[in-house]
Amino acid sequence: MAKKATPSTRQLAMVFDLNKCLGCHTCSLACKTAWTSHSGMEHQWWNAVNTFPGRGTPREVFSYGGGYDAKGEPRPGVFPGKRLWGEAWDFDYEAVFGSNRDEPIPLHPREHDGAAPTWGPNWDEDMGGGVYPNSYYFYLQQVCMNCSEPACVEACPRESVYKREEDGIVLIDEERCHGYRFCAEACPYKRIYFNEGRNIAQKCMSCFPRLEQGVAPACIRQCPGRVRHIDYLDNEDGHIHKLVKKWKVALPLHPDFGVQPNVFYVPPSSPLGFKVNGEFDDEHPRIPHEYLRELFGPGVEQALATIESEREKVAKGGKSELMDILISRDWTDLLGPFTTDATKLQRQPVR
Amino acid sequence: MTALRVTAKKASGTLQELLSPRAAGWKDAPEVVLPLQPTPLEAQPSAYVQKAWAGRQRGAIASVSVKALAAGGQLALRIEWAAAEPRHTINDNDVFADACAVLFPADGTDAEIATMGSADKPVTAWYWRAGAGAPNFATAKGLGTVSREAKHALKATGEWQSGSWQVVLAGPARSAKIGVAVWSGASGERAGLKSHTPSWHDLKVG
Repeated sequence: MAKKATPSTRQLAMVFDLNKCLGCHTCSLACKTAWTSHSGMEHQWWNAVNTFPGRGTPREVFSYGGGYDAKGEPRPGVFPGKRLWGEAWDFDYEAVFGSNRDEPIPLHPREHDGAAPTWGPNWDEDMGGGVYPNSYYFYLQQVCMNCSEPACVEACPRESVYKREEDGIVLIDEERCHGYRFCAEACPYKRIYFNEGRNIAQKCMSCFPRLEQGVAPACIRQCPGRVRHIDYLDNEDGHIHKLVKKWKVALPLHPDFGVQPNVFYVPPSSPLGFKVNGEFDDEHPRIPHEYLRELFGPGVEQALATIESEREKVAKGGKSELMDILISRDWTDLLGPFTTDATKLQRQPVR
Repeated sequence: MTALRVTAKKASGTLQELLSPRAAGWKDAPEVVLPLQPTPLEAQPSAYVQKAWAGRQRGAIASVSVKALAAGGQLALRIEWAAAEPRHTINDNDVFADACAVLFPADGTDAEIATMGSADKPVTAWYWRAGAGAPNFATAKGLGTVSREAKHALKATGEWQSGSWQVVLAGPARSAKIGVAVWSGASGERAGLKSHTPSWHDLKVG
């Protein structure tokens, strides 16, 4: 057994409700402006939202190995080159804004060497899956999973990556990091970026400087769709515990990666499908269950059935704790104990 | 293996001149070829690294040529090794730069070289990496424990030409045991994945 991260006494966890995400990328922008606007971080999207079925960020996001096999042994992984993630594109602003020509000039994106991009965040946003009229898609949000068995922590020979004892957040010590990038190879979700200028690995750190002041992470607090919940997993009265442990409708992404992630997803319910003759098809969900099982494991059908039956209960005038949690009429209920107003933040100067 | 001797005679030129690997002063300095071998995989302090590198080629560089000169109280070491596919800089997620280091037992006499020292017998290192700008002075008490010092007086220059790297590392002069390590960027070598002299050699100044 290779796993070696010290277990935390408590574990912060998140639930993302895939039925509510509208793909607006406010979460990504909230994160970008908060943390990754500095030089060397332009290409980093610690929060990424991709349309699925799709190839993700980086391209073919779940195909790069890493994590652990069924025996608990590390699986070799790959840290794909930056063109497979999408670089921080440049644009010919001068041609667009400095020209007196009448015809519009497209704002062509360019990579560092002038080449046209071939991939980027949410590159295939308008692809989706299925065939009309049974086409389908949903948005998949990704941040650091703060795994209970973090492959990145084990992979680092310098112990630069560690799991916080008090809340289970996984962090990279930038002072210790020497840029070896074993962590980025080992992360099966490909949530670690590389800062070439500083020769260090960087990633989502769950906005811990905000959490320490009682303020929810930027991506969660600014989500207009009320998609994201945060709390300690062991708080039996909190949303996370109820969604993950009690109602079992929030599931890990790719549990087969063997790292026990602490971000959980409410799987997407299917809209009604159509038969060839145009009638509703009650037999075949539009989003194939085998595809959802591939992403969220064997619990997905039961989770969807539970959501469906609770939804029907409410439709008939009944009460449902599960629906109340998923709806969250008071948005601060999503934030667990982190309800302090963001305007109260004491901001540390940038080093 | 038998310890070889690297002798640093007093140079005719200045240290500044010797920082160029092509300086005339290097021409007549005696050259010693030090054989290298891969760092043992089982010594890597990460099960991931052990698993991912099992069956992969490690220790791509088989030997280095070393010359030494003394000038103005400083020691200049010129290290040369063949690199058909040089990696001059880190410019992508999966690109690693060529690098080399000179190791010394911190107490001047004894330390385990293959493990980069131990808790009670540390090593010090002069480290150069292509494209990094300045060299590093570091201490280590075992693999994975390298600690860089913020302040040091090391200088370094590296040039790649005609299929080989020529690196000059300069610092305080003293006779000591030395070892050399080289990382082949083209082979993905970094951290403990490298080739190194399996035992100490002798450096004689003067």
